[in-house]
Amino acid sequence: MTVVAPSAKAVKQAIQWLLRLRESGSSPALLQQCEQWRSTRHEHELAWQRVIHLHQDLDLRTIPGAGVALHTLETSQRRLHRRQALKLLGGVALVGSATWLARDLDSVSAWASDYATATGERRRLHLPDGSLMQLNTRSAVDLAFDQQQRLVHLKQGELMLTCSEAQDQTRPLLVQTQEALLEGLNARFVVRQDIACTRVSVSQGKVAIHRPGNGQVQWIDSGQHWRLDASGAQRLDRVDMDPTAWSEGLIVTRDMRLHDFLAQVSRYRHGYLACSDDIAHLRLSGVFRLDDPEQLLQLLPKTLPVRLRQRTRWWTRVEHMA
Amino acid sequence: MPSNDSVQTLYSDHHGWLHAWLRSKLGNAADAADLAQDTFVRLLQRREQVQLNTPRAFLRTVARGLVIDHWRREELHRAYLEALAHLPETQAPSAETREVLLELLERIARMLEGLKPKVRRAFLLAQCDGLKHQAIAEQMGISVRTVERYIADALYHCYLLRFEDER
Repeated sequence: MTVVAPSAKAVKQAIQWLLRLRESGSSPALLQQCEQWRSTRHEHELAWQRVIHLHQDLDLRTIPGAGVALHTLETSQRRLHRRQALKLLGGVALVGSATWLARDLDSVSAWASDYATATGERRRLHLPDGSLMQLNTRSAVDLAFDQQQRLVHLKQGELMLTCSEAQDQTRPLLVQTQEALLEGLNARFVVRQDIACTRVSVSQGKVAIHRPGNGQVQWIDSGQHWRLDASGAQRLDRVDMDPTAWSEGLIVTRDMRLHDFLAQVSRYRHGYLACSDDIAHLRLSGVFRLDDPEQLLQLLPKTLPVRLRQRTRWWTRVEHMA
Repeated sequence: MPSNDSVQTLYSDHHGWLHAWLRSKLGNAADAADLAQDTFVRLLQRREQVQLNTPRAFLRTVARGLVIDHWRREELHRAYLEALAHLPETQAPSAETREVLLELLERIARMLEGLKPKVRRAFLLAQCDGLKHQAIAEQMGISVRTVERYIADALYHCYLLRFEDER
């Protein structure tokens, strides 16, 4: 289900580029050289993408207290005690368990995807066939592009695909989600993998829904919004949020419940964000910029009778204005 | 993936024994019960067929991994709570957030487990403290070249762990 993994050489080169850039404070000249290296081969770009994500995930500065905790572990005697404990258990498990644990890390996993975005990140990518893929926050996809197929596996999050104009009758452009296989025909469409459901909105062209165990193909026309889950495919009369606005860095709502709005904003930021039940039903219409979710939240008390309660920067609750 | 039936049989035949074995390792009935349960859950999640010739040896291998995991986690939790106790109150995360952060931290700590101590130290100085290579070299009394090599090695090690399934 994946494109060919980059070679060890490409990965090591990507790591070298990353470290040089980091050390230089991202000097423009170096940045340009790095971009050139990335563009020379698809393999380079893939290695780069992976290394960048890995590096982001390993950025311990984003976890308060992490540095101190790990240094404590490092310097304490505990590590030694544990080694002894391991011997008690039988040292054979040591190496085996390290790889075992690593494989168990996360079942959904941006950890092992061809392309992934971090929280709050958005990204544009050109697929090998010239189609444009935009990834929204916290998204992960695998690509399987070869002689037989053009398949994008959306494992998590949301993407927008603008199909390449070049027709390819033998290899339809497909997006796989948990619930369905979607086929784009000269289309521009958004697909979101939610928990146990897929949402599809088509803004141009046509998209076919193929569902497992159901031979019938359902067509979605431009301007339509659909929701697919285990019980079936359902066309939505209205949506309370412009499904494509994120690709321009915006949330655009029409009469959206505050509770649902905060759930959307949560996708773009770290930490806890919720509202008390008595204001969950309040409605919100407007255009909000995604580049700074904190600032966006500060707007709420200006338009609704609410206040923000922030205990730490990781914990925010919207409450009724007392 | 093993069939549910075979795990079912394993469960009814060996659960009592496994619980006792875990209890002897952990000295705590509640943790032992949790880990025994986890062991069977792992079996259900595995892709390959369960090897049934020596069921107890097999269960012990799976459970052993979980015990080690459990100890590592406890060790890390202790160190993390200590670290939080030293943070100013305004920076201390809430209980809910703490759980999430701890989980993130655990993943990272697991990835770093297999590194040589010096390599890990250099890497942590870069990732936690954001130190430049020169500063790390001074602090550790090694050359900048070596620091570069250590950090690159650490990243490559993590890369292999993370993308292993894709190779």
